[in-house]
Amino acid sequence: MARIIRNILFYALAVVWAIPLYLLVVNAFTSAERYGGAPSWLPIGFGFFDNLATAWTESQLGYGMLNSLLYASVSAGIAVLAAGMAGFAVVVMPVKRPTVWFWLVYLGTLLPLQIFLAPLFSSYVSMSLYDTNLGMILIYSAICVPFAFFIVRNYLTTIPPEVTEAAKLDGAGWARLFRSIHLPLIRSSLFAAFIFQFTWVWNDLLFGITLTTSPDRRPVMAALAEIDGGFSTFGPPVVLAAAIVASLPTVVLFLTCQRFFVSSLRAAR
Amino acid sequence: MGRGFIAMALLEKQRTEAGAGNPRPRLSLRTKDRLSAVPFLVGPVALVGVMLLVPFVATAYQSLTDDDGFTSSFIGFDNYVALLEDPTFVRSLLNTLLWTVGTLILPVGIGLLIAVLTNAVPGGRWLKYVFVLPYALSGTATAVIWGFILRSDGALNQAIEFFGGDAAASGWLLTWPTNTIVMIVASTWQATGVTVILFMIGLQAIPKEVVQAGELDGASGLRLFWHVILPQLRPVTIVVIGMSIANSLRVFDLIWLLTKGGPGAASETLAVTMYRQTFILSDYGAGAAVAVVLSVIVVGASWFYLRHQYKRG
Repeated sequence: MARIIRNILFYALAVVWAIPLYLLVVNAFTSAERYGGAPSWLPIGFGFFDNLATAWTESQLGYGMLNSLLYASVSAGIAVLAAGMAGFAVVVMPVKRPTVWFWLVYLGTLLPLQIFLAPLFSSYVSMSLYDTNLGMILIYSAICVPFAFFIVRNYLTTIPPEVTEAAKLDGAGWARLFRSIHLPLIRSSLFAAFIFQFTWVWNDLLFGITLTTSPDRRPVMAALAEIDGGFSTFGPPVVLAAAIVASLPTVVLFLTCQRFFVSSLRAAR
Repeated sequence: MGRGFIAMALLEKQRTEAGAGNPRPRLSLRTKDRLSAVPFLVGPVALVGVMLLVPFVATAYQSLTDDDGFTSSFIGFDNYVALLEDPTFVRSLLNTLLWTVGTLILPVGIGLLIAVLTNAVPGGRWLKYVFVLPYALSGTATAVIWGFILRSDGALNQAIEFFGGDAAASGWLLTWPTNTIVMIVASTWQATGVTVILFMIGLQAIPKEVVQAGELDGASGLRLFWHVILPQLRPVTIVVIGMSIANSLRVFDLIWLLTKGGPGAASETLAVTMYRQTFILSDYGAGAAVAVVLSVIVVGASWFYLRHQYKRG
């Protein structure tokens, strides 16, 4: 009896969770012209690509996708490299007061993003970084360093100090040590941090709407937010189709790299 | 995604576990070696310093001025006093509290339930992806989907009418506190995935002998869960709860797209209030004060919670 209740509870919750996903797909595939003004629960026609074409031309979703691809891959790459170097310095090298350096780099991820926004906006405007690719790459790189640094640092502390000592005895310099010994050893944690931060940048809305405005500069979520604002003009099928395409890269990344997401989160256990 | 909280939790754990002694063995300090760290640190520290730490200090200072984008003069704590007298700020604080309590109960409770049942229910291993998948969606995409459901001509009202019910004519997003509650539900839909993942990691880590010993003592079902499994999940529960608190305090995308904080400022949380004060009203001083209050709450709550939890454990 308890088992039946238990199963019913689980399946009921699964249905509740599946309904929004189901409605998303069905209505995104419904053609916009034949959409009757009320949500459809069964597919009518096949208008997915027409809907997408509307989103592409009306709000330049394509630009948003390309921009976000640029911002997310370059920024996550820079952040991971910077995090690797800082982690190496703090954990492996004999720096004075490693804790102070640690907190200096790490503080950024504790604070809510709102605390950075206004000064960034005004200095971006006065330094002509507002609404530029460079400006977006800079802020996204910086915001991704602290947590990537944290993941990498934890991984580095598991490498026995004897490795470093042996290499130093063999006469290797720090740069050489970093490049040929530690970098290969921490490769998997760098990759995990990269995936995690790529997803973060791709999904960001706040910096996108604050620091960019033109369609060929803004990231994908800012474009999607604008399409969402035109809900009644374009019709729900267009907006939902755009949401699917904008989400697809990170959903695929998440499902294929689940192992790495888990290892980032696992740091918590 | 609660990145800050995860990291803070691990640090606190390491600190309590390591105790006072046993610092990690370090290589000897020679002046030449000390300087050799500079090339490794200068890039990352400059990036974080210029892009994050300087703006942080600038915001803290700005909160003590009456900056309106054109002129600015020092006014001490007037902005903070004005906030306390502003009913929309008090409402915003109340909404932030609602979000915190709501996301504490819903994603954590449901996530634990799903994680525990996944291995017991037939087909659970595959059905769990229904819960995990929304976690990969952005706040923006979640808002698009739930806007479609919650609008006055949306899917929820349609379903209510289909079953002969009386649908709310105004939709779900136009009256308080209904709008805040339905947005917490939307956020739960998106955020439960990560709590499921974390609780499943926690469940896998429980030694089989512990469960078997409990079974030998005659515990089963709910009793086994309550007295044997739940205590074993304590470390992961600390992290999940703390992460939910930190996330709920930062929620922005969902509210901004679904209600813009409205009607009026009825459904604003602190994160939204800061944005409106700064970028819509151009009241930089007041916006900065809200940002500082939010930061103090986020950092303070995480720190207090962790110290308390690990001291007890």
